[in-house]
Amino acid sequence: MGKRYDVAIVGSGPAGLSAAVNAKIRNKEIILFGYSDLSNKLIKAPKINNYLGFPNITGQELKENFQRHMEAMDIEITTERINSIYAMGDYFVLMANEKMYEAKAVILATGMEYTKPLKGEVEFLGRGVGYCATCDAPLYKGKVVTVIGYNKEAEEEANYVSELAQKLYYIPVYNGDYKLSDKIEVIKDKPVEVKGENIVTALELANSTLKTDGVFILKDSISPGQLVPGLEMEEGHIKVDRNMKTNLKGCFAAGDCIGKPYQYIKAAGEGLIAALSAVSYVDSMR
Amino acid sequence: MRQIGDSTFIEEVENYQGVAVIDFWAAWCGPCKMLAPIFEELNNELGDKIKFAKVNVDENPTVTNKYRIASIPTILIFKNGTVAETLIGFRPKQEIKTLLEKYV
Ligand SMILES: Cc1cc2nc3c(=O)[nH]c(=O)nc-3n(C[C@H](O)[C@H](O)[C@H](O)COP(=O)(O)OP(=O)(O)OC[C@H]3O[C@@H](n4cnc5c(N)ncnc54)[C@H](O)[C@@H]3O)c2cc1C
Repeated sequence: MGKRYDVAIVGSGPAGLSAAVNAKIRNKEIILFGYSDLSNKLIKAPKINNYLGFPNITGQELKENFQRHMEAMDIEITTERINSIYAMGDYFVLMANEKMYEAKAVILATGMEYTKPLKGEVEFLGRGVGYCATCDAPLYKGKVVTVIGYNKEAEEEANYVSELAQKLYYIPVYNGDYKLSDKIEVIKDKPVEVKGENIVTALELANSTLKTDGVFILKDSISPGQLVPGLEMEEGHIKVDRNMKTNLKGCFAAGDCIGKPYQYIKAAGEGLIAALSAVSYVDSMR
Repeated sequence: MRQIGDSTFIEEVENYQGVAVIDFWAAWCGPCKMLAPIFEELNNELGDKIKFAKVNVDENPTVTNKYRIASIPTILIFKNGTVAETLIGFRPKQEIKTLLEKYV
Protein backbone atom coordinates (compact mmCIF):
# COMPACT_ATOMS: atom_id res chain seq x y z
CA MET A 1 0.00 0.00 0.00
CA GLY A 2 1.28 3.47 -0.93
CA LYS A 3 1.20 6.48 1.28
CA ARG A 4 -1.91 7.96 2.80
CA TYR A 5 -2.60 11.47 1.46
CA ASP A 6 -4.26 14.11 3.58
CA VAL A 7 -6.78 15.08 0.91
CA ALA A 8 -7.73 13.38 -2.36
CA ILE A 9 -9.59 15.59 -4.84
CA VAL A 10 -11.61 13.92 -7.59
CA GLY A 11 -12.20 16.16 -10.61
CA SER A 12 -10.10 18.80 -12.34
CA GLY A 13 -12.68 21.46 -13.18
CA PRO A 14 -12.75 24.85 -11.40
CA ALA A 15 -14.14 23.27 -8.20
CA GLY A 16 -11.40 20.65 -7.93
CA LEU A 17 -8.60 23.04 -8.90
CA SER A 18 -9.68 25.68 -6.40
CA ALA A 19 -9.88 22.98 -3.71
CA ALA A 20 -6.37 21.80 -4.63
CA VAL A 21 -4.88 25.31 -4.47
CA ASN A 22 -6.39 26.02 -1.08
CA ALA A 23 -5.50 22.70 0.50
CA LYS A 24 -1.95 23.06 -0.80
CA ILE A 25 -1.62 26.61 0.61
CA ARG A 26 -2.45 25.07 3.98
CA ASN A 27 0.36 22.58 3.61
CA LYS A 28 -1.67 19.46 3.13
CA GLU A 29 -0.41 16.53 1.12
CA ILE A 30 -2.87 16.35 -1.73
CA ILE A 31 -3.56 14.22 -4.77
CA LEU A 32 -5.72 15.58 -7.58
CA PHE A 33 -7.40 13.27 -10.10
CA GLY A 34 -8.66 14.41 -13.50
CA TYR A 35 -7.60 15.24 -17.03
CA SER A 36 -4.64 17.11 -18.47
CA ASP A 37 -7.17 19.28 -20.34
CA LEU A 38 -8.86 20.01 -16.98
CA SER A 39 -12.51 20.03 -18.04
CA ASN A 40 -14.39 19.72 -21.33
CA LYS A 41 -16.81 22.32 -20.07
CA LEU A 42 -13.99 24.84 -19.86
CA ILE A 43 -12.59 24.24 -23.33
CA LYS A 44 -16.03 24.37 -24.91
CA ALA A 45 -17.12 27.78 -23.57
CA PRO A 46 -16.89 30.37 -26.36
CA LYS A 47 -17.01 33.52 -24.19
CA ILE A 48 -17.14 33.94 -20.45
CA ASN A 49 -18.23 37.23 -18.94
CA ASN A 50 -19.09 36.32 -15.39
CA TYR A 51 -15.76 35.16 -13.96
CA LEU A 52 -14.66 38.08 -11.80
CA GLY A 53 -11.39 39.62 -12.95
CA PHE A 54 -11.43 38.08 -16.45
CA PRO A 55 -13.95 39.94 -18.60
CA ASN A 56 -14.59 38.64 -22.10
CA ILE A 57 -12.27 35.63 -21.82
CA THR A 58 -12.61 32.40 -23.82
CA GLY A 59 -12.86 29.05 -22.09
CA GLN A 60 -9.57 28.02 -23.66
CA GLU A 61 -7.81 31.11 -22.23
CA LEU A 62 -9.30 30.60 -18.80
CA LYS A 63 -8.13 26.99 -18.92
CA GLU A 64 -4.59 28.14 -19.74
CA ASN A 65 -4.69 30.57 -16.82
CA PHE A 66 -5.78 27.75 -14.53
CA GLN A 67 -2.96 25.56 -15.83
CA ARG A 68 -0.35 28.30 -15.18
CA HIS A 69 -1.71 28.63 -11.66
CA MET A 70 -1.30 24.88 -11.08
CA GLU A 71 2.27 24.97 -12.38
CA ALA A 72 3.13 27.98 -10.23
CA MET A 73 1.95 26.09 -7.17
CA ASP A 74 3.55 22.82 -8.16
CA ILE A 75 0.25 20.96 -8.28
CA GLU A 76 0.18 17.97 -10.60
CA ILE A 77 -2.86 16.24 -11.98
CA THR A 78 -2.91 12.48 -11.68
CA THR A 79 -4.63 11.59 -14.94
CA GLU A 80 -6.63 8.65 -13.75
CA ARG A 81 -10.31 7.97 -13.62
CA ILE A 82 -11.53 7.01 -10.17
CA ASN A 83 -14.02 4.13 -10.34
CA SER A 84 -14.98 3.75 -6.72
CA ILE A 85 -14.34 5.35 -3.36
CA TYR A 86 -14.77 3.35 -0.16
CA ALA A 87 -15.36 5.03 3.20
CA MET A 88 -13.40 2.80 5.57
CA GLY A 89 -14.09 4.79 8.74
CA ASP A 90 -11.01 6.94 9.37
CA TYR A 91 -9.81 6.97 5.77
CA PHE A 92 -10.87 6.41 2.19
CA VAL A 93 -9.70 4.00 -0.46
CA LEU A 94 -9.90 5.29 -4.03
CA MET A 95 -9.77 2.71 -6.83
CA ALA A 96 -8.55 3.54 -10.34
CA ASN A 97 -8.77 0.33 -12.33
CA GLU A 98 -6.15 -1.85 -10.66
CA LYS A 99 -4.54 0.94 -8.64
CA MET A 100 -5.48 1.95 -5.12
CA TYR A 101 -4.95 5.25 -3.34
CA GLU A 102 -5.58 6.16 0.29
CA ALA A 103 -6.55 9.52 1.77
CA LYS A 104 -7.82 10.81 5.09
CA ALA A 105 -10.32 13.15 3.42
CA VAL A 106 -11.95 13.27 -0.02
CA ILE A 107 -13.34 16.17 -2.03
CA LEU A 108 -15.74 15.24 -4.83
CA ALA A 109 -15.67 17.75 -7.69
CA THR A 110 -16.81 15.53 -10.53
CA GLY A 111 -19.15 17.94 -12.36
CA MET A 112 -22.48 16.82 -13.86
CA GLU A 113 -21.81 14.80 -16.97
CA TYR A 114 -23.21 11.40 -16.24
CA THR A 115 -26.06 9.94 -18.25
CA LYS A 116 -29.50 9.64 -16.74
CA PRO A 117 -30.36 6.20 -15.36
CA LEU A 118 -32.75 3.96 -17.29
CA LYS A 119 -36.20 3.39 -15.93
CA GLY A 120 -35.91 0.58 -13.36
CA GLU A 121 -32.12 0.80 -13.24
CA VAL A 122 -31.80 2.18 -9.73
CA GLU A 123 -34.67 0.08 -8.40
CA PHE A 124 -33.04 -3.19 -9.50
CA LEU A 125 -29.45 -2.28 -8.71
CA GLY A 126 -27.89 -5.34 -7.11
CA ARG A 127 -31.00 -7.34 -7.91
CA GLY A 128 -29.98 -8.10 -11.46
CA VAL A 129 -28.67 -4.70 -12.52
CA GLY A 130 -24.95 -4.14 -12.20
CA TYR A 131 -22.22 -1.80 -13.39
CA CYS A 132 -19.28 -4.17 -13.35
CA ALA A 133 -19.86 -7.23 -15.48
CA THR A 134 -16.51 -8.82 -14.74
CA CYS A 135 -17.09 -8.40 -11.00
CA ASP A 136 -20.41 -10.22 -10.82
CA ALA A 137 -20.05 -12.54 -13.85
CA PRO A 138 -19.56 -15.77 -11.84
CA LEU A 139 -22.99 -15.24 -10.25
CA TYR A 140 -24.54 -15.46 -13.72
CA LYS A 141 -23.08 -18.83 -14.65
CA GLY A 142 -25.57 -20.55 -16.96
CA LYS A 143 -27.97 -17.60 -16.98
CA VAL A 144 -29.09 -15.05 -19.56
CA VAL A 145 -27.24 -11.75 -19.39
CA THR A 146 -27.68 -8.49 -21.29
CA VAL A 147 -24.91 -5.94 -21.57
CA ILE A 148 -25.73 -2.34 -22.51
CA GLY A 149 -22.44 -0.88 -23.69
CA TYR A 150 -21.79 2.85 -24.01
CA ASN A 151 -18.18 2.43 -25.20
CA LYS A 152 -15.67 0.01 -26.76
CA GLU A 153 -14.36 -1.14 -23.37
CA ALA A 154 -17.74 -2.70 -22.71
CA GLU A 155 -17.06 -5.21 -25.50
CA GLU A 156 -14.22 -6.80 -23.56
CA GLU A 157 -16.39 -7.23 -20.51
CA ALA A 158 -19.15 -8.71 -22.65
CA ASN A 159 -16.71 -11.23 -24.17
CA TYR A 160 -15.60 -12.31 -20.73
CA VAL A 161 -19.12 -12.72 -19.38
CA SER A 162 -20.19 -14.67 -22.49
CA GLU A 163 -17.79 -17.45 -21.48
CA LEU A 164 -19.80 -18.04 -18.31
CA ALA A 165 -23.32 -17.07 -19.25
CA GLN A 166 -25.68 -19.36 -21.09
CA LYS A 167 -26.69 -16.53 -23.45
CA LEU A 168 -25.46 -12.99 -23.87
CA TYR A 169 -27.16 -10.09 -25.61
CA TYR A 170 -25.11 -7.00 -26.40
CA ILE A 171 -26.83 -3.67 -26.93
CA PRO A 172 -24.41 -1.04 -28.23
CA VAL A 173 -25.29 2.60 -27.52
CA TYR A 174 -22.64 3.84 -30.00
CA ASN A 175 -21.63 3.20 -33.59
CA GLY A 176 -18.61 1.29 -34.81
CA ASP A 177 -17.41 -2.22 -35.47
CA TYR A 178 -17.93 -4.51 -32.57
CA LYS A 179 -15.16 -6.93 -31.58
CA LEU A 180 -17.39 -9.51 -30.01
CA SER A 181 -17.23 -13.27 -29.69
CA ASP A 182 -19.49 -15.31 -32.01
CA LYS A 183 -21.59 -16.49 -29.10
CA ILE A 184 -22.87 -12.99 -28.45
CA GLU A 185 -26.06 -11.75 -30.05
CA VAL A 186 -25.92 -8.05 -30.93
CA ILE A 187 -29.23 -6.24 -30.70
CA LYS A 188 -29.52 -2.79 -32.22
CA ASP A 189 -32.40 -1.26 -30.35
CA LYS A 190 -32.91 1.39 -27.72
CA PRO A 191 -33.15 0.27 -24.06
CA VAL A 192 -36.23 1.66 -22.35
CA GLU A 193 -36.85 -0.04 -19.03
CA VAL A 194 -35.53 -2.75 -16.73
CA LYS A 195 -38.39 -4.92 -15.53
CA GLY A 196 -38.90 -7.52 -12.87
CA GLU A 197 -40.59 -8.40 -9.62
CA ASN A 198 -38.08 -8.88 -6.85
CA ILE A 199 -35.27 -9.42 -9.30
CA VAL A 200 -34.74 -8.58 -12.95
CA THR A 201 -36.69 -10.68 -15.44
CA ALA A 202 -36.63 -8.62 -18.63
CA LEU A 203 -35.29 -5.63 -20.49
CA GLU A 204 -37.73 -3.67 -22.53
CA LEU A 205 -36.43 -2.09 -25.72
CA ALA A 206 -38.14 0.33 -28.08
CA ASN A 207 -39.10 -2.49 -30.48
CA SER A 208 -38.85 -5.70 -28.48
CA THR A 209 -38.49 -7.25 -25.04
CA LEU A 210 -35.63 -9.48 -23.94
CA LYS A 211 -36.02 -12.09 -21.23
CA THR A 212 -32.91 -11.79 -19.12
CA ASP A 213 -31.63 -12.58 -15.62
CA GLY A 214 -29.14 -9.76 -15.50
CA VAL A 215 -28.51 -6.38 -17.09
CA PHE A 216 -25.09 -4.78 -16.98
CA ILE A 217 -24.98 -1.10 -17.85
CA LEU A 218 -21.47 -0.01 -18.78
CA LYS A 219 -21.16 3.77 -19.09
CA ASP A 220 -18.32 6.27 -19.38
CA SER A 221 -19.17 8.16 -16.27
CA ILE A 222 -20.91 7.14 -13.12
CA SER A 223 -23.05 9.15 -10.77
CA PRO A 224 -21.58 10.16 -7.39
CA GLY A 225 -23.94 7.84 -5.53
CA GLN A 226 -22.40 4.89 -7.36
CA LEU A 227 -18.89 6.25 -7.16
CA VAL A 228 -19.09 6.48 -3.37
CA PRO A 229 -21.31 3.75 -1.88
CA GLY A 230 -23.38 5.16 0.97
CA LEU A 231 -23.22 8.77 -0.22
CA GLU A 232 -26.48 10.61 0.26
CA MET A 233 -27.97 12.26 -2.81
CA GLU A 234 -30.79 14.75 -3.16
CA GLU A 235 -32.60 15.30 -6.47
CA GLY A 236 -29.68 14.12 -8.57
CA HIS A 237 -27.05 16.08 -6.68
CA ILE A 238 -24.78 15.31 -3.73
CA LYS A 239 -26.34 16.51 -0.49
CA VAL A 240 -24.07 18.92 1.42
CA ASP A 241 -24.32 21.50 4.17
CA ARG A 242 -22.91 25.04 4.12
CA ASN A 243 -19.43 23.70 4.84
CA MET A 244 -19.66 21.34 1.86
CA LYS A 245 -19.88 18.34 4.18
CA THR A 246 -21.64 15.24 2.88
CA ASN A 247 -23.29 12.58 5.06
CA LEU A 248 -20.00 10.66 5.14
CA LYS A 249 -17.42 11.74 7.72
CA GLY A 250 -14.39 13.21 5.93
CA CYS A 251 -16.08 13.42 2.53
CA PHE A 252 -16.81 16.86 1.03
CA ALA A 253 -18.18 17.98 -2.34
CA ALA A 254 -18.12 21.10 -4.52
CA GLY A 255 -19.16 22.44 -7.92
CA ASP A 256 -21.85 21.33 -10.35
CA CYS A 257 -22.15 17.96 -8.61
CA ILE A 258 -23.78 19.57 -5.57
CA GLY A 259 -26.34 21.60 -7.49
CA LYS A 260 -27.33 24.62 -9.51
CA PRO A 261 -26.47 27.21 -10.64
CA TYR A 262 -23.83 25.59 -12.85
CA GLN A 263 -21.21 28.34 -13.00
CA TYR A 264 -17.41 28.54 -12.84
CA ILE A 265 -17.02 30.98 -9.99
CA LYS A 266 -19.60 29.25 -7.83
CA ALA A 267 -17.71 25.99 -8.40
CA ALA A 268 -14.40 27.64 -7.47
CA GLY A 269 -15.89 29.21 -4.34
CA GLU A 270 -17.32 25.90 -3.20
CA GLY A 271 -13.98 24.23 -3.88
CA LEU A 272 -12.40 26.71 -1.48
CA ILE A 273 -14.95 25.98 1.25
CA ALA A 274 -14.59 22.23 0.77
CA ALA A 275 -10.80 22.51 1.02
CA LEU A 276 -10.97 24.51 4.26
CA SER A 277 -13.45 22.03 5.73
CA ALA A 278 -11.25 19.11 4.70
CA VAL A 279 -8.18 20.81 6.20
CA SER A 280 -9.85 21.33 9.56
CA TYR A 281 -11.17 17.76 9.47
CA VAL A 282 -7.68 16.37 8.83
CA ASP A 283 -6.21 18.59 11.57
CA SER A 284 -8.84 17.41 14.04
CA MET A 285 -7.84 13.77 13.47
CA ARG A 286 -4.43 14.13 15.09
CA MET B 1 -14.43 -14.68 11.22
CA ARG B 2 -16.62 -17.73 11.05
CA GLN B 3 -17.27 -19.17 7.57
CA ILE B 4 -20.55 -21.01 7.12
CA GLY B 5 -22.19 -22.56 4.07
CA ASP B 6 -24.71 -24.89 2.47
CA SER B 7 -24.37 -27.62 5.07
CA THR B 8 -24.48 -25.42 8.17
CA PHE B 9 -26.73 -22.54 7.15
CA ILE B 10 -30.02 -23.93 8.45
CA GLU B 11 -28.61 -24.69 11.85
CA GLU B 12 -26.47 -21.56 12.16
CA VAL B 13 -28.89 -18.99 10.73
CA GLU B 14 -32.38 -20.19 9.88
CA ASN B 15 -32.90 -21.96 13.19
CA TYR B 16 -31.07 -19.32 15.19
CA GLN B 17 -33.16 -17.27 17.62
CA GLY B 18 -31.58 -13.85 17.60
CA VAL B 19 -29.85 -11.58 15.12
CA ALA B 20 -27.36 -12.98 12.61
CA VAL B 21 -25.46 -10.91 10.08
CA ILE B 22 -24.17 -12.76 7.03
CA ASP B 23 -21.68 -11.40 4.51
CA PHE B 24 -21.86 -13.10 1.08
CA TRP B 25 -18.47 -12.76 -0.58
CA ALA B 26 -15.95 -14.28 -2.99
CA ALA B 27 -12.21 -14.11 -3.44
CA TRP B 28 -12.46 -12.45 -6.87
CA CYS B 29 -14.57 -9.53 -5.64
CA GLY B 30 -12.75 -6.25 -4.93
CA PRO B 31 -15.46 -4.50 -2.90
CA CYS B 32 -15.73 -7.66 -0.76
CA LYS B 33 -12.09 -7.22 0.21
CA MET B 34 -12.77 -3.63 1.24
CA LEU B 35 -15.76 -4.70 3.31
CA ALA B 36 -13.90 -7.50 5.10
CA PRO B 37 -11.97 -5.36 7.65
CA ILE B 38 -15.13 -3.35 8.40
CA PHE B 39 -17.05 -6.57 9.02
CA GLU B 40 -14.28 -7.72 11.38
CA GLU B 41 -14.41 -4.43 13.29
CA LEU B 42 -18.18 -4.67 13.63
CA ASN B 43 -17.80 -8.22 14.90
CA ASN B 44 -15.34 -7.00 17.53
CA GLU B 45 -17.69 -4.22 18.58
CA LEU B 46 -21.04 -6.04 18.49
CA GLY B 47 -20.11 -9.72 18.35
CA ASP B 48 -21.31 -10.43 21.88
CA LYS B 49 -24.86 -9.42 20.94
CA ILE B 50 -25.06 -10.37 17.27
CA LYS B 51 -23.84 -13.43 15.39
CA PHE B 52 -21.50 -12.59 12.51
CA ALA B 53 -20.58 -15.05 9.76
CA LYS B 54 -19.51 -15.18 6.13
CA VAL B 55 -20.63 -17.27 3.17
CA ASN B 56 -18.33 -17.85 0.20
CA VAL B 57 -20.69 -17.80 -2.79
CA ASP B 58 -18.36 -19.88 -4.98
CA GLU B 59 -18.40 -22.79 -2.57
CA ASN B 60 -22.04 -22.55 -1.49
CA PRO B 61 -24.39 -22.34 -4.48
CA THR B 62 -27.44 -23.61 -2.59
CA VAL B 63 -27.78 -20.76 -0.08
CA THR B 64 -26.51 -18.27 -2.66
CA ASN B 65 -29.38 -19.22 -4.97
CA LYS B 66 -31.91 -19.57 -2.21
CA TYR B 67 -31.37 -15.97 -1.10
CA ARG B 68 -31.05 -14.79 -4.72
CA ILE B 69 -27.66 -13.20 -4.30
CA ALA B 70 -27.15 -11.37 -7.62
CA SER B 71 -24.34 -9.04 -6.65
CA ILE B 72 -21.65 -9.19 -4.02
CA PRO B 73 -20.90 -8.14 -1.43
CA THR B 74 -24.40 -8.59 -0.06
CA ILE B 75 -25.07 -8.46 3.67
CA LEU B 76 -28.23 -10.08 5.00
CA ILE B 77 -29.45 -9.37 8.49
CA PHE B 78 -31.55 -12.23 9.88
CA LYS B 79 -33.86 -11.90 12.81
CA ASN B 80 -35.05 -15.21 14.25
CA GLY B 81 -34.24 -16.95 11.00
CA THR B 82 -35.85 -14.61 8.49
CA VAL B 83 -34.28 -11.84 6.45
CA ALA B 84 -34.99 -8.48 8.08
CA GLU B 85 -32.61 -6.34 6.06
CA THR B 86 -30.62 -6.56 2.82
CA LEU B 87 -27.55 -4.44 2.10
CA ILE B 88 -26.23 -4.73 -1.44
CA GLY B 89 -22.75 -3.57 -2.36
CA PHE B 90 -20.06 -2.03 -0.20
CA ARG B 91 -21.50 0.04 2.65
CA PRO B 92 -19.63 2.45 4.92
CA LYS B 93 -19.05 1.15 8.43
CA GLN B 94 -21.25 3.79 10.03
CA GLU B 95 -24.24 2.88 7.89
CA ILE B 96 -24.05 -0.83 8.77
CA LYS B 97 -23.48 -0.07 12.42
CA THR B 98 -26.46 2.26 12.64
CA LEU B 99 -28.63 -0.43 11.09
CA LEU B 100 -27.35 -3.15 13.41
CA GLU B 101 -27.86 -1.01 16.48
CA LYS B 102 -31.59 -1.12 15.80
CA TYR B 103 -31.43 -4.86 16.45
CA VAL B 104 -29.39 -5.02 19.67
C1 LIG C 1 -20.50 25.41 -23.49
C2 LIG C 1 -20.53 25.83 -22.04
C3 LIG C 1 -20.43 27.18 -21.72
C4 LIG C 1 -20.42 27.58 -20.38
N1 LIG C 1 -20.33 28.92 -20.11
C5 LIG C 1 -20.25 29.33 -18.83
C6 LIG C 1 -20.06 30.71 -18.53
O1 LIG C 1 -19.96 31.57 -19.40
N2 LIG C 1 -19.98 31.08 -17.22
C7 LIG C 1 -20.06 30.16 -16.19
O2 LIG C 1 -19.92 30.54 -15.04
N3 LIG C 1 -20.26 28.84 -16.46
C8 LIG C 1 -20.36 28.40 -17.73
N4 LIG C 1 -20.55 27.06 -18.00
C9 LIG C 1 -20.76 26.12 -16.85
C10 LIG C 1 -19.42 25.62 -16.28
O3 LIG C 1 -18.74 24.98 -17.30
C11 LIG C 1 -19.59 24.66 -15.09
O4 LIG C 1 -20.44 25.22 -14.13
C12 LIG C 1 -18.24 24.35 -14.43
O5 LIG C 1 -17.35 23.79 -15.34
C13 LIG C 1 -18.40 23.41 -13.23
O6 LIG C 1 -17.16 23.10 -12.70
P1 LIG C 1 -16.90 21.78 -11.86
O7 LIG C 1 -15.50 21.88 -11.36
O8 LIG C 1 -17.99 21.58 -10.87
O9 LIG C 1 -17.05 20.57 -12.89
P2 LIG C 1 -16.44 20.30 -14.34
O10 LIG C 1 -15.94 21.55 -14.97
O11 LIG C 1 -17.47 19.52 -15.07
O12 LIG C 1 -15.16 19.38 -14.05
C14 LIG C 1 -15.24 18.09 -13.53
C15 LIG C 1 -14.04 17.31 -14.01
O13 LIG C 1 -13.87 16.13 -13.25
C16 LIG C 1 -13.67 15.03 -14.10
N5 LIG C 1 -14.15 13.82 -13.45
C17 LIG C 1 -15.44 13.45 -13.23
N6 LIG C 1 -15.51 12.26 -12.62
C18 LIG C 1 -14.22 11.84 -12.45
C19 LIG C 1 -13.64 10.66 -11.88
N7 LIG C 1 -14.41 9.68 -11.38
N8 LIG C 1 -12.29 10.54 -11.87
C20 LIG C 1 -11.51 11.53 -12.39
N9 LIG C 1 -12.02 12.68 -12.93
C21 LIG C 1 -13.36 12.83 -12.97
C22 LIG C 1 -14.50 15.40 -15.32
O14 LIG C 1 -14.14 14.65 -16.44
C23 LIG C 1 -14.15 16.88 -15.46
O15 LIG C 1 -12.93 17.05 -16.13
C24 LIG C 1 -20.55 26.63 -19.33
C25 LIG C 1 -20.67 25.27 -19.67
C26 LIG C 1 -20.65 24.87 -20.99
C27 LIG C 1 -20.76 23.39 -21.31
